[in-house]
Amino acid sequence: MSTALIPRNALAWLLGAQLVVLLPHLPRLPWWVAVLWLGCAAWRVQIQRMRWGYPGRILRAGGLLLTGVAVFFTQGTLIGLDATVMLLLLLFMLKLLEMRNPRDALVVIYLGFFILATAFLFDQGIPLTLYQCVGAVVLVAALIGLQQSPARNDPWHALRSAAAMLLQALPLMLLMFLFFPRLAPLWTINLPSAESRTGLSDTMAPADIANLAQSPELAFRASFEGNIPPPSRLYWRAMTLSRFDGRVWSQDRLLEGHQPLAVERSGAALEYQVVAQPTGRNWLYSLPGSVSDSPELRAMGDDTLRAKRPLSSTFGYTATAFERVQRQRDGLPDDERQRLLQLPEDSDPRSRAWAEELRQRYDSDAELVNALLRHFNQQPYHYTLRPPTLGRHSNDEFLFDTRRGFCEHYAGAMTFVLRAAGIPARVVTGYQGGELNPRGGYLLVHQFDAHAWIEAWLPGQGWQSFDPTFQVAPSRIERGLEEAMREEGSFLADAPLAGSRYRDIGWVNNLRLTWDDINYQWQLRVLNFQSEEQLALFKRWLGTADWRRIGVVVLSLVGLVMVVQALIWLRPRRISGSPAQRAWQRLDQRLGKLGLGVRAGEGPRDWQQRLRQALPQQRAAIDGFFDRFIEQSYAQRQPGEAQAHLKPALQTLLRSLPRRRPPAPSQALD
Amino acid sequence: MTAAIRARARRWHQGWLRRRIPPARSLRLDHRRIFILPSRAGVAFLLLLLIMLIGAINYQNSLVYGLTFTLLSLFWVALHHTYRNLAAVQLRATGGRAVFAGEQVPLGLTLRSERREHQALKMRWPGLDAVSVDVPARGEQALTLFHPTERRGWLALERLRIETRYPLGWFVAWSLVDLDWQVLVYPKPVSAPLPVGAAPEGEEGDQPHAQQEGVADFQGLRAYRPGDSRRRLDWRAWSRGQGLHSKVFAEPQQQSLWLDLAAAAGRDLDERLGVLTGWVLEMEREQRPYGLSLPGVRIEPAQGDSHREGCLRALALYGLEARA
Repeated sequence: MSTALIPRNALAWLLGAQLVVLLPHLPRLPWWVAVLWLGCAAWRVQIQRMRWGYPGRILRAGGLLLTGVAVFFTQGTLIGLDATVMLLLLLFMLKLLEMRNPRDALVVIYLGFFILATAFLFDQGIPLTLYQCVGAVVLVAALIGLQQSPARNDPWHALRSAAAMLLQALPLMLLMFLFFPRLAPLWTINLPSAESRTGLSDTMAPADIANLAQSPELAFRASFEGNIPPPSRLYWRAMTLSRFDGRVWSQDRLLEGHQPLAVERSGAALEYQVVAQPTGRNWLYSLPGSVSDSPELRAMGDDTLRAKRPLSSTFGYTATAFERVQRQRDGLPDDERQRLLQLPEDSDPRSRAWAEELRQRYDSDAELVNALLRHFNQQPYHYTLRPPTLGRHSNDEFLFDTRRGFCEHYAGAMTFVLRAAGIPARVVTGYQGGELNPRGGYLLVHQFDAHAWIEAWLPGQGWQSFDPTFQVAPSRIERGLEEAMREEGSFLADAPLAGSRYRDIGWVNNLRLTWDDINYQWQLRVLNFQSEEQLALFKRWLGTADWRRIGVVVLSLVGLVMVVQALIWLRPRRISGSPAQRAWQRLDQRLGKLGLGVRAGEGPRDWQQRLRQALPQQRAAIDGFFDRFIEQSYAQRQPGEAQAHLKPALQTLLRSLPRRRPPAPSQALD
Repeated sequence: MTAAIRARARRWHQGWLRRRIPPARSLRLDHRRIFILPSRAGVAFLLLLLIMLIGAINYQNSLVYGLTFTLLSLFWVALHHTYRNLAAVQLRATGGRAVFAGEQVPLGLTLRSERREHQALKMRWPGLDAVSVDVPARGEQALTLFHPTERRGWLALERLRIETRYPLGWFVAWSLVDLDWQVLVYPKPVSAPLPVGAAPEGEEGDQPHAQQEGVADFQGLRAYRPGDSRRRLDWRAWSRGQGLHSKVFAEPQQQSLWLDLAAAAGRDLDERLGVLTGWVLEMEREQRPYGLSLPGVRIEPAQGDSHREGCLRALALYGLEARA
């Protein structure tokens, strides 16, 4: 084997498979990777044509070293998933140049299977999955090409066989996919390009933004058990920002802390399911006061939910919200209170003064909050995505000079004033509203639905949410950003191709929503199929979650499929004859048990006569069969037609036969 | 000690194989005669799948799970395909002619397919190169295998290994068949000067040399009798459509020579038999009649293809047990 060369066919399939396997990775990689592959492939073809030789040892060692250097400079490191995958891809290409015998080719194909799998770490969409099926077929075809006789020159045969074999593998694969126990990760791992994903920012600095960039990308999808609440209730909390340095709002790790939060829940429960797109971060999206029993996440001290591991792929969870929730009604610990009142010493003097003034005027915190909201509602504030940038005392400038901004300006300024007035408050960021997909009956929440609002702690009530933006631009909350920005024309101004911009065109919108529904089902049922969903499935189908019982059922199912397939494939086949011959053999077999089998040298007519005598009761059936048989064997009918007549005649005769041979009839009767 | 155990195991294995797959001129490969195991490439592939499975678990990635399970089921599917690629092949031994020790013996083999195509079947004797063939669907594929010979006598062939790894190379299915080729190996000819008119009984006189070249006195034609030398056939008459005739020469002066084992010198019996073989060939070349005398074997002087074969056969089998 080691001395054999790689057949031409196999090489063609190998190069094809490499191309197919590499393509999905190329957009993530520098351009020279593609050029390198073309170079390696061309070189290998020249080797096969005996034009060029294999590279020498020095060149190979140099290439290997260069590969490491290149990966280091591209990725900034040699460890980590991105760098590892890139290294693997480059080795996969370079291996072409030292692929001398079928064993080397086998290494290349196995690497190909591995790289096929790594692509799924970066993208799990339906298009890629379908594409990877093609990759699998071509890799298997390359394997077949390696095993075929070198002389055989029929590349399509390998491809057909590969596709057929993969199809045959499907039933067992489905069973294993459904029933293989989903284990917890065996060790912690680094995640693919977590930092480069779009999503919420964990800080907020409205003063620096002149033109809010909006992304049409999906943030998450949510479906509800029962009716979808109105948009004014759909405040998806992602994180709270409690620290302010005069310009930037950021998270306060101590406040998030992982202590159980005192929440009183009452009223109707509302169960919902969220499938979040990968962000590379831990934060999740939940309605206020939600509880979840998913083991993969935990509830934080600021009433947010966090995933235990950063979201490297889509992540699904269920949670329950309640009609009425009261958070920390009985009071705030002193240290928390201090942190929630924190403000930088020397910023925004005008806002502070105004807060003092409000404090003087209103005794009750609740009244002060309402007064502030009224202020936003009644004064000439303007909601815009293209606000002016602000100077050193940003809140002052916003509240008293420019009065133009979007949600972050309002939330930041209101929190500042409340704190200055001695009311514990924080900024909450997340998403608001969402687009209903009527086909799937679920909500699509996009990045442009990102929103910021505030929460204030009021004595006797606990944490309460307020949205100053609602006072300025109610349509933003009730009908979404697109409506609110209709005049300004700034909705998705940077993304002219985004599907969400074309909601007005009926069929385009239909197509978009249908495609999204398919994707959602895909995420919900396939990508998100982990231990929780698996257990739910077992409970529904088998009525138990006991692993021993499940094990028995699963093993017997797998065993059944394997046995059935084995029986189909390994069934010994009789040497085929014409339909007439088969019918003859079958009858002979059956009558042999009665001692009436055909005798050596006996023709159909003789046998028929003998049977008529031995089985007088069945004469009609005997004659029926033999007439058909003779007609077909000697009259040269079309085979199909022959079968059509002969088969029923044979069946009739076989059915009429007795179990035991009847006693010989007396001559008198004959 | 270990060698003894190994030899014993080997004997037991051979006996077991003989009971399971008895020698036969033709046989059909079926589940009783086919063995199948994962190949080294198959085991390596399983290791790869294990790594992929760990990746799927660690990344909680359903699609990597899916790919891993697809390939694992493919492994299972490949088992059947490899088995079926060998199953229901009919093997038939054809031909096989006698050769001299040291030559390659050609062994004819026909493979027949009952229905499906069988690809990349490799046939190999231990230590020899493999021959790879495809058998077309419902068709036949004839081939000639070559096997070296060392010793005279009936060719003792090891079992022929017929194996396949098609389609994916993850399994190797094989059978070890004894197709019962009956091939006689003549002793390896050793060239030595012809003996000097040795006649065991001395009845033929003491003529020191055969002087005649043997084609001098053409007497006429007679009807062909089996055993006549091909060189003496009258091809011209045959091509005219007059039937086969042998030319008859007068051979009165031609002294027939007795080839006696006692007269052949050599280190051992095989070499001495080789000398005799060389003489037989030499006498045939010169078309002189000769007799063969071995202890316990005596073949009267004659000449011709069948005589030659008889002598060579006697030389090949001398002192060996007759084959069962």
